[in-house]
Amino acid sequence: MSDEKKQPAALVLGAGIAGIQTALDIANAGFQVYLVERLPSVGGHMAQLDKTFPTLDCSACILTPKMVDVASHPNIELMTYSELLGVTEQAGMFRAKVLKKARYVDISKCTGCGDCAKVCPVVVPNEFDVEMADRHAIYVPFPQAVPNKYTIDKRGWPPCKDACPAHIDVQGYVALIGQRKFAEALALIRQTIPFPGVIGRVCNHPCETACNRGQYDQPIAICALKRFVADWEKETEPLPPVEVHRDQAVAIIGAGPAGLTAAHDLALYGYRVVVFEALPVAGGMLAAGIPAYRLPRSVLEAEIARIQALGVEIKLNTPIGREGNPSLEDLRRDFDAILITVGAHQELQLRIEGEELEGVVPGVLFLRACNLKSHGPAIGLDLTARKVAVVGGGNVAIDAARSALRLGAELVTIVYRRSRTEMPASPWEVEDAEEEGVRFQFLANPIRILGRDGQVVGLECIRMELGEPDASGRRRPIPIPGSEFVLEVDVVIPAIGQTPDLGFMGEGKLAVTRWGTLAVDADTLATNLPGVFAGGDAVSGPATAIQAIAAGKQAAESIHRFLQGEELARPPKGLPVVPYEEVDLRRARKQARAEMPKLSPDIRAADFDEVELGFTEAQAVAEAQRCLNCAFCSECRQCVIACQAHAIVHDMQDETVELEVGAIVVATGFDLFDATLEPEFGYGRYPNVITGLQFERLSSASGPTAGKIQLNGQVPKDIVFIHCVGSRHKQVDVEYCSRVCCMYTAKQAHLAHDKVPDARVTVFYMDVRAFGKGFEEFYDRVREEGIIYRRGNPSEIYKRGDKLIVRAEDTLLGQTVEVPADLVVLATGVRPRDDADRLAEMLGLERSEDGFFAELHPELRPVDTRRRGVFLAGTCQSPKDIPDAVAQAKAAAAGAIVTLSQLRRQMDEMEDGGEA
Amino acid sequence: MKVNAREFAREYTLLECIQCGRCTGGCPVSMKTALNIRGLIYQLLIEDTFSPASLDELWDCTNCLTCTIRCPKDIRPADVIIGLRGFIVGEGKGVPPRIRDALMSAFTRGNTLGFATEDRDSWTEGLPFEVKNILDEGQADLLYYVGCTPAYDPRVQPVTRALATVFYEAGIDFGTLGVDEVCCGNEIRRIGEAEGFASMVEEFREVCKEFQAGRMVTVSPHCFNAFKNEYGELPFPVQHYTQFLTELIDTGKLTFRREVRKKVTYHDPCFLGKHNQVYDEPRYILQRLPGLEFEDLDRSRERSVCCEGGGGRMWAEGTNVEVRLAHQRVRDAVDLGAEVLAVACPFCLLTLEDAVKILGLDDKIQVMDIMELVIQAL
Ligand SMILES: Cc1cc2nc3c(=O)[nH]c(=O)nc-3n(C[C@H](O)[C@H](O)[C@H](O)COP(=O)(O)OP(=O)(O)OC[C@H]3O[C@@H](n4cnc5c(N)ncnc54)[C@H](O)[C@@H]3O)c2cc1C
Ligand code: SF4
Ligand code: SF4
Ligand code: SF4
Repeated sequence: MSDEKKQPAALVLGAGIAGIQTALDIANAGFQVYLVERLPSVGGHMAQLDKTFPTLDCSACILTPKMVDVASHPNIELMTYSELLGVTEQAGMFRAKVLKKARYVDISKCTGCGDCAKVCPVVVPNEFDVEMADRHAIYVPFPQAVPNKYTIDKRGWPPCKDACPAHIDVQGYVALIGQRKFAEALALIRQTIPFPGVIGRVCNHPCETACNRGQYDQPIAICALKRFVADWEKETEPLPPVEVHRDQAVAIIGAGPAGLTAAHDLALYGYRVVVFEALPVAGGMLAAGIPAYRLPRSVLEAEIARIQALGVEIKLNTPIGREGNPSLEDLRRDFDAILITVGAHQELQLRIEGEELEGVVPGVLFLRACNLKSHGPAIGLDLTARKVAVVGGGNVAIDAARSALRLGAELVTIVYRRSRTEMPASPWEVEDAEEEGVRFQFLANPIRILGRDGQVVGLECIRMELGEPDASGRRRPIPIPGSEFVLEVDVVIPAIGQTPDLGFMGEGKLAVTRWGTLAVDADTLATNLPGVFAGGDAVSGPATAIQAIAAGKQAAESIHRFLQGEELARPPKGLPVVPYEEVDLRRARKQARAEMPKLSPDIRAADFDEVELGFTEAQAVAEAQRCLNCAFCSECRQCVIACQAHAIVHDMQDETVELEVGAIVVATGFDLFDATLEPEFGYGRYPNVITGLQFERLSSASGPTAGKIQLNGQVPKDIVFIHCVGSRHKQVDVEYCSRVCCMYTAKQAHLAHDKVPDARVTVFYMDVRAFGKGFEEFYDRVREEGIIYRRGNPSEIYKRGDKLIVRAEDTLLGQTVEVPADLVVLATGVRPRDDADRLAEMLGLERSEDGFFAELHPELRPVDTRRRGVFLAGTCQSPKDIPDAVAQAKAAAAGAIVTLSQLRRQMDEMEDGGEA
Repeated sequence: MKVNAREFAREYTLLECIQCGRCTGGCPVSMKTALNIRGLIYQLLIEDTFSPASLDELWDCTNCLTCTIRCPKDIRPADVIIGLRGFIVGEGKGVPPRIRDALMSAFTRGNTLGFATEDRDSWTEGLPFEVKNILDEGQADLLYYVGCTPAYDPRVQPVTRALATVFYEAGIDFGTLGVDEVCCGNEIRRIGEAEGFASMVEEFREVCKEFQAGRMVTVSPHCFNAFKNEYGELPFPVQHYTQFLTELIDTGKLTFRREVRKKVTYHDPCFLGKHNQVYDEPRYILQRLPGLEFEDLDRSRERSVCCEGGGGRMWAEGTNVEVRLAHQRVRDAVDLGAEVLAVACPFCLLTLEDAVKILGLDDKIQVMDIMELVIQAL
């Protein structure tokens, strides 16, 4: 006996009725069949139909048993959600490469219960219902689907998630807020970052810049939505402390966002974590730099408390490497790994005359003084009647200026050497500052601080103009000679940039870059000392909180790998980003972004109360619902929680398999004509102009209206069917007759009449092609039921009042008529598949003039192709009805079986010869 | 004279006709007059000879081209009408008198309206700048082809001046043919006067040798259509003014300072839209005007309805004067809540404005050429 594996197998491409029939016949003849279908379920168009002409059988009833058969047949391997990638041929055998697309659901575990879809917040039009109904991102296309397994429609990463340095599941939490699932949204954010309330306030939100909706109208207010859920949770219930189950310990130097995020993640991994902080408060720049009017202290403190509750120990007032405190070397001895996240707190000097004068306060020190009340030099915290100049254009400068106003300063001027557009500060901060009364001197640079009796009395500046762009891409400022002027001020706050204070390193064994930041491996954040890692501003120079948090996460992951003795480098993450062009805008409507309520400028500039007031619940929900769901699946992971079978695998990968087959049957079917190409019928414009396939869904008991003929709850009184839309029409490049529309229209007219007996049903036709067995009789029956057939193909449809008007010439009367309608059904024709070109090239097939795949001889070789071993079945060869598609499928199966039998004989002979 | 129907059917590719009736079904006058183009085609298909002379309804056709864009078999039913009119004109009998007058005037005076040739540049009166004569100077970047109605009709002259003003303001080097400009012949050709039209084309091509121009821009879509599609290859590209203005806006040469606080809708002229697929530019211009609120009519673009002013119908009333398409068009615009029904064609302007007057809707809606709105926004 020949080896089982040598049994030549067949590949059937497409599992519509034709592909299903072919597969069953070949399998029943004893050959192995791979049935490849690109959609999640088998069934093809026939599964979408209500009844079938001419017998009026229920389509699902006669098809479903066959669908079940292909799934359970021992000789058939069903490969749904799969595509053919290429075919090579050798000695009469084909090698087919098939892509099994990731379903993100393990179908060996999925029970089809649908618990996941109930919680999925993403709703999109269901293709199976031709957009007459919706589905979720996790779905089965229809209840009788085979296999009855869920699939997640994931199109990639949304740009928001990609742009976020920490890759927060933005689309996910936005979608959950849209569904008022605030707790779930917050939990999802916390899966990535421990600071939702902080980041929801202070983030520079690159996600919003990237947001695809920005190209449609305005970006989603992603940041404010994050704040909304953080605020929504009134009292923070701290997480229960995690049991330290690993005996290793990590020391973190610096309790800023980078250090604390790493501490949080490492605690969750199960390590003992101690954070050493030089200042008397935890939070780094969040506490010492950012003023309370942007970030109330209680918000920060609550989020830090949650981290401490995990068992993280924070030792304040402990500057590592300073007199009386442990040194880096001490820590290396006592801990298994060290993370340095000391930030960049040393203000750069202006390097001009007069910087030593009383009244000159570096920006970072000034903010620290404001925030910590005690710390800092002796300018006092009362600036009443004083005039202040702040030098610089970044966020520190803006924060210092707005704080100075709040401390009573009479006049605050920001001096910046370039123009407004080049300012690194966030534009909305600049606007807020301006509203509060901060003045700006753009294109001016300080050259000298003037003093009297050791006190600042003025700042001498020179005017600048912008020259060629420099390395940063911004135009370089050039002084204009002779344009000096003096600002009369008594306080000067330089805020032109910061560097890390690396005094703690002592021995100086850590490698440093030429910008004075710590040198690390960009992927792993490892320094040159084994077991010592670094991240945040200390590595990048002054950047943003979310970048620091991202670095903290990255460091925690590296340290975990290091402590587990794993390879440090981590596998790349992420999916391709969904570009705007690929976003599904079918349901999008223009709608302005929600505006953040704020205290009015005159009230808010008086104290340090929070300026932005946060969204109301209604605002937040409406804003969240603007999200375009760019990637379909939002990775909110609600399904993961809901699925009791643990079947959901969000990081599943596509898979490619190679199949060796002796015959290929192509049964890829047809596409429907796009009715918008005949704009005179107003398809896509009038909701009550639909296509024949949409009518099938409307009429189907499993369809969007459970089989009732109604649109928006209205039962139509006048129903008009129009033949030949997208058929026999040179101007839309379809010269052929689609062969099924006359009969399916007759069937649908019958169904319409049957379901709405008092409706007036009119069919406009040019000829009625009732050529098949039982067809003419069926056509007779339909007319006898009282359906009106009028000869003439309508020319256009327009609205009059709330009726549609179908304008046509009744060619038998020779009169132009206007027929009112509540529902118009376009008998849209049948087209070759969109990707027929690709497939033809892959398989070496020819196409006939109409674009369908060409058979070898129109009369005598109807299922063979130019390529030996490749056969055609069903509508991929030409438009046809189900009886013809099935007949041809059986013929193709016979062709394939002949080829496979010959191959088997050859194999057997070779084997016998070998044995002899 | 009888038409040889067999020959005619072959020449006009009528043998492919499947008698679907889309042409007649879409024909805007088919519901109010006896004109049935599908029926005419049917007769041409089944008869040996055919006599068009007594068919008054042939003069009802406005040549809006709806039949032609709807025909699934790529037949050009509108051309069939022109062909049949040609036999009548050739014969001389059965031509409506006012059409005969327009033809006569076009050949003797160079305009279809019976005005004096030497007044053709009278529209320039009152302009604060000189309009250059391209024949005197020998060249210009832009040849401004004015056209008969825009040159003489007092209602349309402000449109003509507005366009010249925009050229001037945008710093365009433009010139006209002055009093030597003659009718484009678009309607002449549609009346069926094929020979006369052919000689007009010949003459114009001769005149073109006397100057150089970078492009030609017309006020009227009718002139635009003739020069673009029926004059053969000309030494310069031909544009309708809405296309040229779109370019000016895109390149920043035309900017708007003043608001036009009006709700405006737009009627697609057949010779701009259906004949030449210029649908986007007029809307683009309107939507660029500050303060203007734009909304399309339900029947717009390729689904637009003719105002009944084209194809010679400016001069012939047709067989049913009671029902006018322009009336429905105006009512639709009023129902939409529009204060202005904008057009980009002198015939549409006159026809629709007449309809507004007859319906007594002057207080509700105004018919304006796009140029008249543009000039308000400068
Ligand atoms: C509105 C309407 C009503 C109709 N009503 C009737 C009726 O009442 N009676 C009747 O007899 N006929 C009817 N028909 C015709 C009937 O739908 C078709 O005859 C039948 O669906 C053809 O089956 P098929 O297998 O050839 O193609 P399809 O049904 O189109 O199936 C092809 C399958 O191949 C898959 N596929 C495509 N490309 C690939 C690829 N590259 N790789 C893998 N898989 C691929 C598709 O996803 C699909 O599942 C109707 C048609 C329409 C449009
Ligand atoms: S992760 Fe969320 S959006 Fe994606 S399928 Fe699951 S529930 Fe739906
Ligand atoms: S529209 Fe939604 S999913 Fe798309 S980028 Fe914006 S927030 Fe993200
Ligand atoms: S639309 Fe074309 S095919 Fe149909 S009747 Fe008219 S000319 Fe004939």
